[in-house]
Amino acid sequence: MLYLELFIQGFVQGSIYALIALGLTLVYGLLRILHVAHAALFTLGGYIGVIVTNATGSFTLAMVVAMLVVGFAGMLMYKLAYEPLLSKPPYVSLIASIALFIAAEEIFRIAFGPYGLSYQTPPLQGQIELFSDFYLKYAEILVMGLSVVLLSALAWLSMRTRTGVAWRATVTDPDMARAFGVKIQNVRYLNFFIGSSFAAAAGVLVALLNNLVEPTMGSVPSYKALAIIVLGGLGSIRGTLIAALLLGILESFGTIYIGHLLGRDAIAFAFLILVLMVRPQGLMGGKL
Amino acid sequence: MKRAKIISAVIMGGLLSIATGHASSIKIGFNVPLTGFAAADGTSALNGAELAVEQANAAGGINGDTIELIVYDDQASPKEAVPIAQKLIEKDEVVAAISGSYSGSTRAAAGIFQEAGVPYISAYAVHPDITRAGNYVFRTSFVGEVQGRAGAKLIGETLGAKRVVVITLKNDFGKSLAAGLKESASDYGITIVSEYEYGIKDRQFGPIVSKVKSDQPDAIYASGYFFTAGPLVSQLRAAGITVPIIGQEGYDSQKFIDIAGAAAEGTIITTSLNRDSESSETKDFIREFERKTGNKADMVAASAHTAVKVIVAAMRKVGATDKVALRNAIADTSVVAATGTISFNALGEVLKDVQVQIVKDGHWHEHSVISDSKLLAPPNQ
Repeated sequence: MLYLELFIQGFVQGSIYALIALGLTLVYGLLRILHVAHAALFTLGGYIGVIVTNATGSFTLAMVVAMLVVGFAGMLMYKLAYEPLLSKPPYVSLIASIALFIAAEEIFRIAFGPYGLSYQTPPLQGQIELFSDFYLKYAEILVMGLSVVLLSALAWLSMRTRTGVAWRATVTDPDMARAFGVKIQNVRYLNFFIGSSFAAAAGVLVALLNNLVEPTMGSVPSYKALAIIVLGGLGSIRGTLIAALLLGILESFGTIYIGHLLGRDAIAFAFLILVLMVRPQGLMGGKL
Repeated sequence: MKRAKIISAVIMGGLLSIATGHASSIKIGFNVPLTGFAAADGTSALNGAELAVEQANAAGGINGDTIELIVYDDQASPKEAVPIAQKLIEKDEVVAAISGSYSGSTRAAAGIFQEAGVPYISAYAVHPDITRAGNYVFRTSFVGEVQGRAGAKLIGETLGAKRVVVITLKNDFGKSLAAGLKESASDYGITIVSEYEYGIKDRQFGPIVSKVKSDQPDAIYASGYFFTAGPLVSQLRAAGITVPIIGQEGYDSQKFIDIAGAAAEGTIITTSLNRDSESSETKDFIREFERKTGNKADMVAASAHTAVKVIVAAMRKVGATDKVALRNAIADTSVVAATGTISFNALGEVLKDVQVQIVKDGHWHEHSVISDSKLLAPPNQ
C-alpha cells in the first residue's frame, strides 16, 4: 500500500514537472533556445495566483488571470530578450536567459518582500479518501486533473487545428513554412504564450500545495526542467511528458529508499546521466 | 566673482570636514543575507540589529559617540562573506562585527576577523566550528547539538514520547540538531524509528509523509526553517498524522504559522525567544520590534538584537578603541538581553536557558523552559 501511495505522490510531482517543462520544450523545439527564465514565469504565476485569490477570494479567477498575464509576460520576454538575439549563437540567448532569471528573483523580492506570500484562506484543502487511510487533497487532484486537461488541449490544438498545423510546420522547417504563408512571428508568440501560461498554472498549483510563494521558488525548476527536456529528448513533447512523470515517481521512491545517500536533485541527475549513457538522444529523441 | 565662489567652496568644504570629523561614530560591521534564499531571515536579523543600535544611540551611545552599523549583503554565501570581512576590517575599520547570517558565510568570515583581532559575534549561526576560529569569535545562540539535546529531553521527558521519527534538513543546521538529539536519545528512553533527509529547496514532502504515517511514531522531530517547516507540518497534518511535531529555532517566525495555518497549532519548538517572558528586556524588544517593522518579532531578530547589545555593553565598559580590551570585556559578558541572561564559556559559546514555545491560537506562546546546565553545556574547546 505504501508503494501505491509513493507512486501517486510521484505522479502529483511529475504532473507539476510536466506543466513546467512543457513550455521549455516548446521553446527549444521552435527556437533552439534553452529558456532558463521560464522558471521566473512559473514564480510570477504563483505570486499572481496568491495575490488575486487573497484580493478577490476566487481561486478560479486567480488561475485565469495568472495564465493570461504570464502568457503575455512570456510573449514580452520573447519580444524584448530573445528576438533581438536570434541571429546570435544559441549560448548568447542562454546567457540572456540566465540573467533574466536572476534579475527576476530579485525583482520578486523587492516587489513582494523577502518573506514570501501565503494564501490567507487556502482554497481546495478538502480531502477524499482514495483507499484505506490514504487521503488526497483536492489541490493534489486538481494538479493531476489540470495537467491532463491542459496537455490534452495542447495535443488537440496541435493535431486538429490549422494553427497547430502551422505550428508543427514551423518546428519542422521554418523556411518552408514561411514559403507556404505561415506567419512565423505569430507562431512564436503563440508558442511563448502557451508555454508560459502552463508554467503559470503550475506556479499557482505549487503555491497552493506549499501555501507559500517565495522569490526563489523557481530555482529548482530552472535546472530540473532542463534535465527533464534533455531526458525526454530535446524538443520532443511526448518525451518531456514521459520524462517528467518518470522523474516524479523516481524521486518519490528515491527520497525514501536512497534519500540518505542521494538528495532529491541528485537522484534526478544521476538518472539523467544513466539514461544518457544508454540513449544519448534522450528517451524519445531522434537519432543524433 | 569666480574667486569668491572658490573661497566659499573652500570654506564650505572645511566646515563640512569639521562637521563630519566632530561627530565621530563607532563602527560595528554586520554581514547579513539581504538577497538570495536566506533574505527573509537576513531582513529580520538586520531589523533586530538596527533596533538595538537605535536604542543604544538614544541612550547616549558609547560615552557620547554614536554607533554606526556597517551593513553588507553576504547572500549567506562563504565566497561573498570573505571579501566582506576584509572590507569591514580594512576599509571600514570596524571595531567589532556581527554575523546576521547562516553558518557557511559565518564560518568563512570568522577566521578573517580572528586573524585581524576584531571581535566577531555569530548571532544565530549554529555550526560548532565557528567559535573554534579563535578567542575573538563568540556566539550568542546555541550550537545545533545543544539544541538537539534539549529536544531529546523535551520529547522523552516532558512529552513522554519514546518512538521518534527524525526528519532532517540536509545542511549543517539540520545535521547538527539530529546529532545532538541522537546523542541524548537513549538517556531519555527514546528510540529513533527511522530518519529521513530533505534538501533546503524541497517544499513537497509527499513521499516522506506517506512513509512516516506507516512508521506510526509517538512524536516527530523535524528540523528546518519556517519556509520548509511550514509546508512540511501542513502536509504531515493533512495526511492525518496527529502526534506531536517538535521543531527548533528555524521555525521561530510568525511566517511559519501563516504558511501552515491551522496545521501549525500545537507545534512545539526549542528556541531562544520567549514571547510570554516576564523579563522587561524581552517585553521591550518584542514591543519595539513590532512598532519599528510592523512584523511580529522572531528568533533571528532577537538574536541579532542580543549580539549588538553584548558588544555595546562591552564598549560601555572599556571604550571602543582598544580591541584587546574589548575582546576581554565581551568574554566577561553578563548581560540581560532579549534572549535571556547572556554569558560565555571559555570557547565563546553562550550559556543560557533553552526556551520551549508552542503554537496556540495562531501565535507562539511559552510551553516550558529547559535550564539543565549539564545537558545544555556547549563545547568547551
